[in-house]
Amino acid sequence: MSHSKLAGIFNKDEKKVDWHDKALWFVRHKRDLSVHEVKGWEELRNLGHGIKAHTLSHLDVYLEQFEANALKNGVQVHWAANGDEHNQIVHKILKENNAQKVVKSKSMLTEECHLNPFLEANDIEVIDTDLGERIVQLAKEQPSHIVLPAIHKNKLEVDELFQEHLGTKPCNGDPQYLTGEARKHLREKFIHADAAITGVNFAIAENGGFVVCTNEGNADMGAHLAAVHIACMGVEKIIPKQEHLGVFLRLLARSATGQPITTYSSHFRKPRKDTKMHIVIVDNGRSEQLSRPDFRASLHCIRCGACMNTCPIYRRSGGHSYDATIPGPIGSILSPGKDLTKYSTLPFASTLCGSCSDVCPVKIDIHTQLYKWRQIISKETPQPFVKKKSMAAMGKIFSKPSLYGKVGAAARWALRNLPKSLINSWPNTWGKTRDLPVGPKQSFDQWYKERENNKKDDQN
Amino acid sequence: MDSRDTILKKLKANKPEFIALPKINPDIFEENIDKIKEFIRKVEVAGGKVFEVTDNKEALSRTQEAFPDTKVNFSNLDDSGFFNTIDSESLKNPHKLNDLDVLVLESTLGVAENGAVWLTDNDIPVRVIPFITKHLILILSKENIVSYMHQAYSALDPQVLDYGIFISGPSKTADIEQSLVIGAQGAMSLTVFLV
Repeated sequence: MSHSKLAGIFNKDEKKVDWHDKALWFVRHKRDLSVHEVKGWEELRNLGHGIKAHTLSHLDVYLEQFEANALKNGVQVHWAANGDEHNQIVHKILKENNAQKVVKSKSMLTEECHLNPFLEANDIEVIDTDLGERIVQLAKEQPSHIVLPAIHKNKLEVDELFQEHLGTKPCNGDPQYLTGEARKHLREKFIHADAAITGVNFAIAENGGFVVCTNEGNADMGAHLAAVHIACMGVEKIIPKQEHLGVFLRLLARSATGQPITTYSSHFRKPRKDTKMHIVIVDNGRSEQLSRPDFRASLHCIRCGACMNTCPIYRRSGGHSYDATIPGPIGSILSPGKDLTKYSTLPFASTLCGSCSDVCPVKIDIHTQLYKWRQIISKETPQPFVKKKSMAAMGKIFSKPSLYGKVGAAARWALRNLPKSLINSWPNTWGKTRDLPVGPKQSFDQWYKERENNKKDDQN
Repeated sequence: MDSRDTILKKLKANKPEFIALPKINPDIFEENIDKIKEFIRKVEVAGGKVFEVTDNKEALSRTQEAFPDTKVNFSNLDDSGFFNTIDSESLKNPHKLNDLDVLVLESTLGVAENGAVWLTDNDIPVRVIPFITKHLILILSKENIVSYMHQAYSALDPQVLDYGIFISGPSKTADIEQSLVIGAQGAMSLTVFLV
């Protein structure tokens, strides 16, 4: 389904849309307050951009270095060309360790690979342990935001969900009570887990270590109790040196939620005694994206979600309207690289206002890339009949000033004289939810010339 | 060819021409801040408490005063025998730490700009303990507070670390309608004693 159709579904509940819009704008505002406190913020963004650009230009070398160091640290390293291979590797590790119960902390990569349904089909219990992710897992939904997975749900919905699945008492959506009950429920799961799966925020080439950031502490609770820790990462998570964490950890949480740093920033390097640590390095289309000069900077992304919080379309259409693992502006430049036809409407889900590029901590030119994807999509995928015809007609009109003048006069007359039912008829999608203004008598050109003449008259 | 070689070959073929690695100059971020004041402010914003004390002993006794009725307490500080209700033997099975009430640890590094306190395998008897405890107490010398993350990483040798963590405040979540709740999956409270 197209983005606009799915957005239409989300827009049926106007009150919810208003809340969603304001809640995310509030997070964007907290981001502003937080970054304005940092001297040299723009220089920090430049460094983030520069380090990522350098790393991508040397990516194969850094990955090999990372692998060699991780092996030296006693960590096992696996490589997966795509999502299926990733899932099979994870399953194989779990099987070898007789792991039946798995706790997982937030990892957009495992969402991208659809790991949960794969493991569940193989009789393995997978519990998402980030509260927001647990909520969407219980609701059998996908996260609608990469940092705030359950932002599309209100507290009463969570209340009902927990009553059904966790046996909680009705509480009118009391967040304190519900979080406390989720804590008890997840504690049980942590204690009895055979294996823990985490994502990776940053992987360090020079020492083979990796960093995982959470506010809840769920990644650590899982990884330090289970006998096996599997960390899954995309190839683009590499940074050359530990000192570069100084840049990225300063950028990440401030851009995401306005916190100066997440509550927990865990640096894993060697497994603890008598336990195993595995890293799965995944391509799944990333090497393809690296080959596209116009779009490779999308791989700089550190998954802060700032572009979603600021986007006027995302805030009003909801994350599920993108029908992609990564929604919002960044998702709209990543997804077409994976499937141009399936995601052909996403680059159009933007006003091209450029706010996403302005807040991006690693300076990805998101709105420029959205525009460039539009050029490719218009050429390579079938466009709706009305859009195609009207674009061709507009092209003719705009190229001939005399024709433009005539059409303009006719349109202004029509907007003054024709009935609404005709003006807002089906080809005019703009008229679906809005009325067009009354047509002025003069064109801008006529008005401007008249004004200039009047000035001259005044001077004479 | 296996996936490893395929991926590396593709990345090598598809990567752009070499781009130089920029150097970090921490001086450009430097402001004349009072490191201790800033550290206290940031820990409090993150939902933690900070108290200044004269020594570790005072920190332990203040902890006892703050948590008079707890059943299970542990610290690895010297002379913490009077405080501990469990011995280091019982730490060997981390699954049994689920009823730990209060944990007191000493850190060697703190960061003013974000109130983060650094712990490594050297400071913690088992890795899960600062997360599984209900209340976490950290002791930090004022001299060991640096201004920014850049200085923090300059002090950490990347080749020595086995496991390390920056902790800023207690565990928290805002996943239910953006309402902040302290005490998600990790510690429900954090107190830092500055000596």
